[in-house]
Amino acid sequence: MTELVGVFLARYYYVAFAVLVTVGLYMLIDSRNLVKKVIGLNIFQISAFLFFITAAYREGGEPAVIHEGGGPYVSPLPHVLILTAIVVGVSLTSLALALVVRIYEEYGTLDEENVREVISGD
Amino acid sequence: MKTPYSESPVITTTVRVVAPFALTYGIFVTLHGADSPGGGFQGGVIAASVFVMIAFAFGIGPTRDWVDERVLLALFVSGVVGFAGVTLAAVFLGGSALELGVFPVAIKWSIEAIEVAIGAIVTGVVTGLFFLLGQDRGGEKE
Amino acid sequence: MTIALEAVLVAFVVVAAVSAALLRDVLGAIVVFASFSLGLSVIWVILSAPDVALTEAAVGAGVLSVLFLVTVSKTARPDTDTLVSSVDYKAVAAVGLLFVVLLATVPALPEVGSTEAPAVQETVDGERTPYGYYIAESYEETGVENAVSAILVFYRGFDTFGEGVVVFSALVGMLVVFRKEVLG
Repeated sequence: MTELVGVFLARYYYVAFAVLVTVGLYMLIDSRNLVKKVIGLNIFQISAFLFFITAAYREGGEPAVIHEGGGPYVSPLPHVLILTAIVVGVSLTSLALALVVRIYEEYGTLDEENVREVISGD
Repeated sequence: MKTPYSESPVITTTVRVVAPFALTYGIFVTLHGADSPGGGFQGGVIAASVFVMIAFAFGIGPTRDWVDERVLLALFVSGVVGFAGVTLAAVFLGGSALELGVFPVAIKWSIEAIEVAIGAIVTGVVTGLFFLLGQDRGGEKE
Repeated sequence: MTIALEAVLVAFVVVAAVSAALLRDVLGAIVVFASFSLGLSVIWVILSAPDVALTEAAVGAGVLSVLFLVTVSKTARPDTDTLVSSVDYKAVAAVGLLFVVLLATVPALPEVGSTEAPAVQETVDGERTPYGYYIAESYEETGVENAVSAILVFYRGFDTFGEGVVVFSALVGMLVVFRKEVLG
């Protein structure tokens, strides 16, 4: 049993990734406020980056700036993926927020249940 | 109930002092992306956040009038055209698309040029997104 | 020394995410999200990823939080009577399933920072991996010391071009949603 706990403790970032992804998904499913849903989507995305950056890390690794006599470097390839993913996340969120503003203008409410009622009542 | 926007002298003075340094830092990070951590994305978002900071201090409407929208348009369109131009120019010079080895300059300078193009795209688009989201929506609906 | 700092940061980030889920007030959730993003960007620095940390700090704690605040100012900040919203146990059971599945895969992953991790192996079965190639050759081929910039522009430049187009089309999409033709 303590061996299993030790196994999980040695991979602490991966356990934190599982917790954060779960929390983000819970916010996405369960919030009634539309803006909180978008916040949950962002928490989900940013926590997924934690998995990649942890996978690229190595003990005693330096940032991937190659110079003379540099020690072991961390892997630069996941960093490149995450850089693009962060900026794509900004585009996604801004488009989602524009839709939220339009929904508020059309239906006058930000609550998901009320929007559903108004749509089915039309 | 929306309170009318009132300028706070602390915020306006601080932003007036800090904004040039932050913009310089954004351009610095973009141009130094080759030899130290940084690059186009980072510098572009830092420069866009300078415009957001100015909009905090002086209001979104006055800032949008000061930063003429044609400047933003020119920024990101030139960024996209610059990037596409470098890509296609490599094809015309005999290599494959975006093969930076075919240019007569050292590869480091073409990488710098593309980083500047990326910074221009990200600055223009992120500032444009902020202004578009914060536009005045009064009077059209309801 | 770093272990204590990392433990505090991970705890801070998890507490921030859970409070963003539980707080009923939207403004409170936005502020807590900004601090979540800031804590995570310090974790990126500890994991030797300075480029990602710069971008995450500027984007997450900066531009994204401001976009959320502008949205709340354009729409509504609903009145709240309680501080914490109630937890829906069916939703917790549904996401708990995902949590259990993810946790079950964790023992198969290498330890954090282990030198045997496949992403940091220079050769595998006598053949050079992409990591080994980039570390060995990127400075000679490009003259650029920052390997991340070299990969972003020189080796994987087409993905970066696609990303520029995605960001541009987000702006166009926003114009379509608001049914305008100019930015003002």
